[in-house]
Amino acid sequence: MSKQYQFKLVLLGESAVGKSSLVLRFVKDQFDDYRESTIGAAFLTQTVTLDDQTTVKFEIWDTAGQERYKSLAPMYYRNANCAVVVYDITQSSSLEKARTWIRELQRQADPNIVIALCGNKTDLAARRQVSQEEAKKYAEEEGLMWAETSAKTGEGVTEVFTAIAKKLPLTASPAARPGAGARASPGARQGVDLNKQTTAQGQNEACNC
Amino acid sequence: MASTIGIMQALISIFIDDGDKLRCINAGQARITFLLRPPLYYVCVSSWGEPESVTRTHLEYLHLQILSIVTASQLRRIFERRTNFDLRRLLDGAESFLTSLLDELEFDLGISTSSLHCLKLELNLRKRIAETLVPTGKTKEMLYVMLTVEGRVVTLIRPRKRSIHPADIHILLNTIKSPSISNSQASASWIPVCLPKFNPSGFVNAYISFLRDEPIIDSSPSSSSTDSIKDGATEAREPSISLICISGTGDFDYVKDWCEGAIKKLAVDGSLRALTKSILSQQTEYTVAEVGVPGLRHFIYKSRSQVQITFPVFEDPYNNTNEKRRLITLYQTLHDAIHAKSGQSEPLKLQYIRTDTESALGWITQPFELYIAISPLLPKSAIIGAANAVVRWVKKEESRLFLRDAPIF
Repeated sequence: MSKQYQFKLVLLGESAVGKSSLVLRFVKDQFDDYRESTIGAAFLTQTVTLDDQTTVKFEIWDTAGQERYKSLAPMYYRNANCAVVVYDITQSSSLEKARTWIRELQRQADPNIVIALCGNKTDLAARRQVSQEEAKKYAEEEGLMWAETSAKTGEGVTEVFTAIAKKLPLTASPAARPGAGARASPGARQGVDLNKQTTAQGQNEACNC
Repeated sequence: MASTIGIMQALISIFIDDGDKLRCINAGQARITFLLRPPLYYVCVSSWGEPESVTRTHLEYLHLQILSIVTASQLRRIFERRTNFDLRRLLDGAESFLTSLLDELEFDLGISTSSLHCLKLELNLRKRIAETLVPTGKTKEMLYVMLTVEGRVVTLIRPRKRSIHPADIHILLNTIKSPSISNSQASASWIPVCLPKFNPSGFVNAYISFLRDEPIIDSSPSSSSTDSIKDGATEAREPSISLICISGTGDFDYVKDWCEGAIKKLAVDGSLRALTKSILSQQTEYTVAEVGVPGLRHFIYKSRSQVQITFPVFEDPYNNTNEKRRLITLYQTLHDAIHAKSGQSEPLKLQYIRTDTESALGWITQPFELYIAISPLLPKSAIIGAANAVVRWVKKEESRLFLRDAPIF
């Protein structure tokens, strides 16, 4: 019997590091040299086939990196099974921002969340400011997955998502596994109470910022 | 740029010191118009010859669009804390909302007349679509549900106790039109937006989904070409149907599931297909020829009770940008005079303007406002006849032209 998993994935990171480009490469295998900034958050889906028996469907939240949307992030990562935190290898400040996101996820998100740290723009390696050693060491210390990608050339992109897809079914809570009911999606798993919490959160944040 | 801004600021503060608000300066062909919406000042230099009130409306819309991104209270707080705050930091990434609004303002007749421009559609089809889009279940999540085609409203569903201000709709329509949303490859966007007339100090969430499965590409650019559609500035873009759901609470999963369900229903019951077909066969447009009034060039009819307008497509010569702008400026001049918007001593019931290129009439009554342009060669009596004929025609067609009796919940 084939197994189908469904997971929520959130992309976080400073603005202009290439979150939307990474998703676009993953979902449509496309790249635009010029992209408008994401506003709020964009929702996409993509299915990864692991083997003949197993597919993983990602429900992806591609969030806006601008500071003014910062307070909305919990609405997206609260129910997420996995997060891809993106930095730009040519901007060391973007790794700092990524560390901030990772700390926030470790404190606030589901303790089982799978986090991947992703250094994008390897096609611009000549202007590299973040060394592989530095990022890798940090990822190891924090127990994160780590990879470098180029949304422009496509290098490493599918690999990141596939690696997450492979890791997820092993770590996600049993309810997200197949056979736990017709709607085995994590959203359904968490049910009404948590949704309510998200609701209240979203509203407060929107008013306080 | 810095020196220009310095001068603007100096001018504004000189007048403020005298306890006065600077409205505009006429400088030869150009008019410099000021709008003060503390903590922000808006300034426009224009040489189109449009009435002052029109420029002020445009500046006001820029302000509303900025509020939709940052909210009035957030703006106030930030500038209370730091008077020299660089607003660009807050608007980072949202510039495209402002640039697309600037493109839109020039020709948007809905904005010019503070009303809604609906898509012409068969009454029964519009009704069927609307019924599918009435929120069910947790209706508390839903504030407004709107289906639009290319900046025109197909239907708008609202709670019994809440009306929606046309300005908020215009801001929403512009937000969707901005390339950050319309060019996005995402299946849906979920954005915090402040609807300034609804609540200037808080955000609501907008779920925006493009019904792209049925691309409405007009393959025959022959007859009424794409630039005669209202959206002249974006003719290269693929036309699209979008569903917008405004939620006051922010339960994304619920709103998404509901919207996806509604879209599916529209597809299954055939209304999406019927809507697409109507658009493709241009039944959602009409030409002045269909109105059948000799000498009639163009008109705008505003139903005052519905707060909606209807007008025929802009055909030759008005499919040319300069000609179109001239006609619209003429309409705006009439609108300005009828409503005494630029400090005239009293409003008018009727105004007639004759130029070398057209005769135009603005006419306001209890149920409607009408702006009409005919050939300048025809006598004055002809325009009165034409106006009456247009009113009769609109009356006959109104079930298709306007959105009436949209369901409430």
